[in-house]
Amino acid sequence: MDWRRFGFIALIIAILFSVVVLIGKAQISPLIIITSMMATTIAVATPLTLGALSGLYCERAGVVNIGIEGMMLAAAFFGWLAAIYMNTIFLFAPMPSLIVGVIAAILTGGLFALLHAALSVTFKVDQIIGGTVINILAVGITGFLNRQLFFEKGSIFGGNVPHAPGVLPRIDIPILADIPVIGRIFDQQPITWAAILLVFVTHIVLFYTRWGLRTRAVGEHPRAADTVGINVFYMRYANVIIGGMMAGLGGAYFTLESVPSFEPLMTNGRGFIALAAMIFGNWTPFGAWAAALVFGAAQALQINMQFFREAIPPQLAILQISYVVGLTPYILTMLILTGIIGKNIPPAADGQPYEK
Amino acid sequence: MKKLYGVIVALLVAAMLIPACAPKAPDCTKADVFCVGMVTDVGKIDDKSFNQSTWEGVKLAESELGAHVQYIETTDAKDYAKNIATFADAGYDVIVTVGFALGEATYAAAATYPKVYFVGVDQFQAWQYDDDATNDRANVAGLVFPEDQAGFLVGALAAQMTKTGKLGGVFGTDVVPPVWRFGEGYRAGALYIDPNIEMFIVYHSDVGFDKTFTDPEWGAATANSMIDKGADVIFGGGGKTGNGAVIAAAQRGVYAIGVDTDQYYTLPEAAPRLLSSALKLLTPGTFDLIKLAKDGAFPSGNYLGKGGYAPYHDLEKEVPAEVKAKMEEINTALLDGSLQTGVSPVKP
Repeated sequence: MDWRRFGFIALIIAILFSVVVLIGKAQISPLIIITSMMATTIAVATPLTLGALSGLYCERAGVVNIGIEGMMLAAAFFGWLAAIYMNTIFLFAPMPSLIVGVIAAILTGGLFALLHAALSVTFKVDQIIGGTVINILAVGITGFLNRQLFFEKGSIFGGNVPHAPGVLPRIDIPILADIPVIGRIFDQQPITWAAILLVFVTHIVLFYTRWGLRTRAVGEHPRAADTVGINVFYMRYANVIIGGMMAGLGGAYFTLESVPSFEPLMTNGRGFIALAAMIFGNWTPFGAWAAALVFGAAQALQINMQFFREAIPPQLAILQISYVVGLTPYILTMLILTGIIGKNIPPAADGQPYEK
Repeated sequence: MKKLYGVIVALLVAAMLIPACAPKAPDCTKADVFCVGMVTDVGKIDDKSFNQSTWEGVKLAESELGAHVQYIETTDAKDYAKNIATFADAGYDVIVTVGFALGEATYAAAATYPKVYFVGVDQFQAWQYDDDATNDRANVAGLVFPEDQAGFLVGALAAQMTKTGKLGGVFGTDVVPPVWRFGEGYRAGALYIDPNIEMFIVYHSDVGFDKTFTDPEWGAATANSMIDKGADVIFGGGGKTGNGAVIAAAQRGVYAIGVDTDQYYTLPEAAPRLLSSALKLLTPGTFDLIKLAKDGAFPSGNYLGKGGYAPYHDLEKEVPAEVKAKMEEINTALLDGSLQTGVSPVKP
């Protein structure tokens, strides 16, 4: 374990929280502020966590995936579309519709990842270009279909606003969620819980199973792996697709968990921030999750700073400019990339196509 | 191989036939053909709010005045001038540009195309108030609205309906004056009812201009954070970002307030908890200006549309009669000028 890195991350999160507590404590009790910020942090970190896990599976197997943004966007759209179809055309109840939507989103992510795997593993296309193709493709397909299906006259939904089946209900952890005030932290929606669970699952899979060992071997030294009889192409395909499914679940967060509507470009660059989180976390599941929480905390800070705008003391006036606060995660990423808290070590064969 | 070429040639020939089958667009350069073009802001025409309501006003001109109508969606702020020129060069008679951000491009186009009438929705025409006659443009009308009054009304309503004494507001960027006026009007209205009320007002100003109105996920997260801190009324104002806040509020079971149009009809997900909406009557305002242009009575300068608040719909029974009476009283006072919101037109 890279304790220095985790210590640094914990320190940043603590600083971000205490800034808000110090400024806002005159208006609202610190406990409520911390609870509310933690609840926000965990929720907004969900797509980043899943995106980072997606990148992790791909890159640990030696395939760079910058198409996570596109995979999430496409999954957000098709998951939402499937939920609406189930709800309005096949008349499913909202809950089964949403479940079908989540499955559709995961499959969409997997399908786009299959394309990425084909491009980068079989055809040995430059992996950055392959990922860019996916990002552009996703923007085009979702924007076009969104227009054709929902807005144009004579479309399936007749230009009316489609009636989405709502969002996934909150699941509270028994006992913990009943604690007054701080119970709110344990009252989150299913994809958020799934993301946290998947962090642990990914850690075990990568570091304690034969599959994980083979995946890492393929990502570090594919020739050696091939020599001992590991099918490099198969491992890479499988891991990229698993990664795509993670991104797909992350996409479902946008339209099935956060808001029940789709907007063109609604992922707003979070797929790229997820990649930064993966690097920030040094290609490990817990590191990536911690980094995603830093980005989430920065967003929570930026939201909360504005609540207490009038209470910001004059010597900290720079914090009143929300642009400055919004920059925090990006500045942190650059700091991390300079290596001040330890070297970032990507898988050795990351981004290199394997020639038999 | 020969067969393949044959197929390709056949397909190409077929492709050429497609445009010929499409209905012929009328020739807008002819004097007797009245054409109205609309250029959106980077928000989409199906945004369930701003662009869409203006477009409905343009479509009203199609059905009522027999106009030929068309729209161009702007995808990049760099294209404003180009999109406006596309309509002007095609001989359109009236061009409606939607949103504050298109103000400069519209004003510049008005000089280039003096024969075309320009309707700038939400575009305040400052030249009307200076002494320099050289910068006057007779063919531009800015359709502006008293957003501060609409915000004031829903703020007063929110302050009367809250049980916790805490109100939330999630808005697009405060760099856009109408958004600022909605937000500050909301604040003023709430404080007018209860000077001790606590307000959480957040503008989504920390991202690029193209994202501030199209980030529903951020809007929802912000609204949820406010509700966690005890807010029980959320006003969402700012395209899709605001819509996200309105939907999140409705899902948490607190009161939600929409913006621009009566969002009871545009956000069915939020309808059961939608208390009201702060209205800009965009559709009639746009239509009126197009009609005036057609009749040759185009009013250059600023044209003040109407503001207001939407009906309570499903929550009709939850709103006490004295609150309803008070709202009517405030609305009347705002309209006759005996009550001022005290909100400056732009962020100081």
